[in-house]
Amino acid sequence: MGILIKNGVVYDPAQGIYGEKMDISIDGDKIVEDVSSPERVIDAEGRLVVPGGVELHSHIAGGKVNAGRIMRPEDGRKGRAPRGRLTRACSGFSILNTFSTGYTYARMGYTTTFEAAMPPLLARHTHEEFEDMPITDKGALVLLDNNWMTMEYVKAGDLDRLAAYVSWMFGATKAYGIKIVNPGGVEAWGWGKNCSINDPVPHFDVTPKEIIRALAKVNEELKLPHSIHIHCNDLGHPGNFETTLETYEAVKDITASSDRQVMHATHTQFHAYGGSSWKDFESKADAIADYVNKNDHITIDLGAVMFCDTTTMTADGPMEYSLHTLSRRKWSNHDVELETGSGIIPVAYSPKVPVNAIQWAVGIELALLIEDPWKVVLTTDHPNGCPFTFYPEIIALLMSKPKREEMLKGVSDAVGRRALIATIDRELTWGEIITMTRSAPAKILGLSESKGTLRVGADADVAIYDIMPESFDPAKGYREIEEKLMRTFYTVKGGEVVVKDGEIVATPPGRTYWVNPVGERAHAMREEMLKDLEAKFDAYYTVSMANYPVQDEYLSHPLEIRAG
Amino acid sequence: MAKITLTMRSSITVPLEAEVITPDGLAGKSEEEIKSLTVYHGNREMKLGDFFDVSVEGSGDPASTEIIMKGDLTRVKRIGEGMTAGSIVIEGSCDMHCGALMRGGKITVKGDADAWAGREMRGGELVIEGNAGNYLGAGYRGEMTGMRGGKITVEGDAGDYIGEHMAGGEILVKGNVGILPGLSMTGGRIIIEGSATMPGGEMTKGEIIVKGEVYDMLPGFRFEGEEEIEGKRFRKHTGDLAVRGVGKGVLLLG
Repeated sequence: MGILIKNGVVYDPAQGIYGEKMDISIDGDKIVEDVSSPERVIDAEGRLVVPGGVELHSHIAGGKVNAGRIMRPEDGRKGRAPRGRLTRACSGFSILNTFSTGYTYARMGYTTTFEAAMPPLLARHTHEEFEDMPITDKGALVLLDNNWMTMEYVKAGDLDRLAAYVSWMFGATKAYGIKIVNPGGVEAWGWGKNCSINDPVPHFDVTPKEIIRALAKVNEELKLPHSIHIHCNDLGHPGNFETTLETYEAVKDITASSDRQVMHATHTQFHAYGGSSWKDFESKADAIADYVNKNDHITIDLGAVMFCDTTTMTADGPMEYSLHTLSRRKWSNHDVELETGSGIIPVAYSPKVPVNAIQWAVGIELALLIEDPWKVVLTTDHPNGCPFTFYPEIIALLMSKPKREEMLKGVSDAVGRRALIATIDRELTWGEIITMTRSAPAKILGLSESKGTLRVGADADVAIYDIMPESFDPAKGYREIEEKLMRTFYTVKGGEVVVKDGEIVATPPGRTYWVNPVGERAHAMREEMLKDLEAKFDAYYTVSMANYPVQDEYLSHPLEIRAG
Repeated sequence: MAKITLTMRSSITVPLEAEVITPDGLAGKSEEEIKSLTVYHGNREMKLGDFFDVSVEGSGDPASTEIIMKGDLTRVKRIGEGMTAGSIVIEGSCDMHCGALMRGGKITVKGDADAWAGREMRGGELVIEGNAGNYLGAGYRGEMTGMRGGKITVEGDAGDYIGEHMAGGEILVKGNVGILPGLSMTGGRIIIEGSATMPGGEMTKGEIIVKGEVYDMLPGFRFEGEEEIEGKRFRKHTGDLAVRGVGKGVLLLG
């Protein structure tokens, strides 16, 4: 029984392994010390063998993703593939259908994918799409910041009931972590307004900073595996880097409940801008990187932009409206009762448009200027910066200065004046790339025991790429990186070969992680909190409280993590 | 010169997706090679020879290839899709998407063409001797750009939303059209010799000439005075001011 992967050049930063020729043994769905009589032997012949990729921030399932599909039939004309022997019909470039999402991630060597923004009321839809998404293990971050219950408890300073509410919501929505999106701003948008970090939220008299701090404290009190995961205020605004740094600084004094960050700040590219208008818009990636380099309570992901016609979708409704006023493209907006909102708009990032070209530069700069790869994760905020299918090209940009030089020839010259990319010589190594795509996201999510590593006992998720790291020069071979990282030589998920030579050969269902806070803190004030919540349901919600929680049947492959 | 004749053997009810039927796709191929080309009948993969008799006379490059189509083609879709040169003569009526994405050459439909004829066309000529359906020369679902170049002539009537999102080229309809011709148009020219309903909605550029009756004129157009074209007087309007007050579209009413 089991699989033996022989002669691989292994990178497993979690174990301090950087390019060692060694064998990997798999028994059942776990990595083991050795396997006596393997059912299958894969000879990697010097190829790159790494843990399966871990996606910690991507919009792949749920209400707004599907609204994007409905809104953009033209996107569905791209990426089409007919039904195959094992595979379902695929479509989509920026908003892939559920099947294509699973297959494409698996082909690229990714085996764990987290949906970054689940509105509680639309949790069922998210889990339904997870069920339909083959291969990868999944989890969802639940939006709890623009929530009326949260804001009222924050205003009252009642973190006891807030902890009870958060833990009840984790069970009701089968969530993995707390997501914060433009705290206060999305609620303010209901009144046609927005909030920066210190602006009081209309009618609630709390500030975004107070919401962030309260949720961060509760997150640590409940000992959740992941930290708070934040989309800062003022996304996309020129000069927003100051808000971003103030957000980071706001949780500096809070102690993490485990060996990880206190705050994960997502798609930081969109939050690292200087200038006062679109005319003097500039990169402040250096200021953000400098802060992250000096502080250990914060980790980020990139949200890198690449030039293409993509779809932006976020709970940040006001931000999407401001994009609509710029581009006049079709736009949709949604209000999720007492909880959150969302907006969708197609965006074409053009290398000739100075702002877009600087956005592109900022994403790459962040990855190059942050010294420790454990603090920065490769994402594109799929599909907001560009679809996740651009990862190979982004990795090529990070590993190859010649690739950057070639690309710089085709972009607006504003990049030379108002961004830093052309001045940076650093070329990332395989060890750093594997950290940023596997080990770091697994650690940040609190999954480092089972994901993002090939340590004995970890999940048997392995990617083998048709690249020979011992004889390959990434700086020169960037085209090969782009090609080879798109389709693995092998992908193994949970001990099963799912991709061979870039083709899907098995489509097992993935599992859905969810966190069940079971500690004293989660339950102490539950009865009192439920009375408050019942009143909210009676007065405002369109559904009754009894019909609200996601039934267990919605998760046919659940993986419960008990916290606290 | 090459003359390729495709004769549909019998009528079908499930539509046939036959985008392989272009001079580019058939030029230089033998009868057997043409018969073995893939078409989709519903969701089934089939061969062109399963539906058509094929005869090939002479040979040549796409530009010198003429395809003659005979038989009941009313359920054959996407004829001439993306063609760049040569010609197709459809001796009868055809189903949707005829001449879609066409870049060059000429298609003549002796009968009617169903919806989306000349959709997203870039160049070449499409002549429909009968009637055309909805979305003639339009963009496809969700797209922002329809026809960009080339010419479409319809001898009969055309349906609704013709030239939707049209950005260039010319559409001439000798009969009447339905509602909202030139919807969201950004360029090019539509000439309607018969009547039209609500022409030019949300147009920001381009020109629509309606020689016959106009029903339900939209309120976003400003009257600019009379203008004479080829000895005939037209009432000139600009609009549609409903779109950010741009109003660079021209609507000439006879």
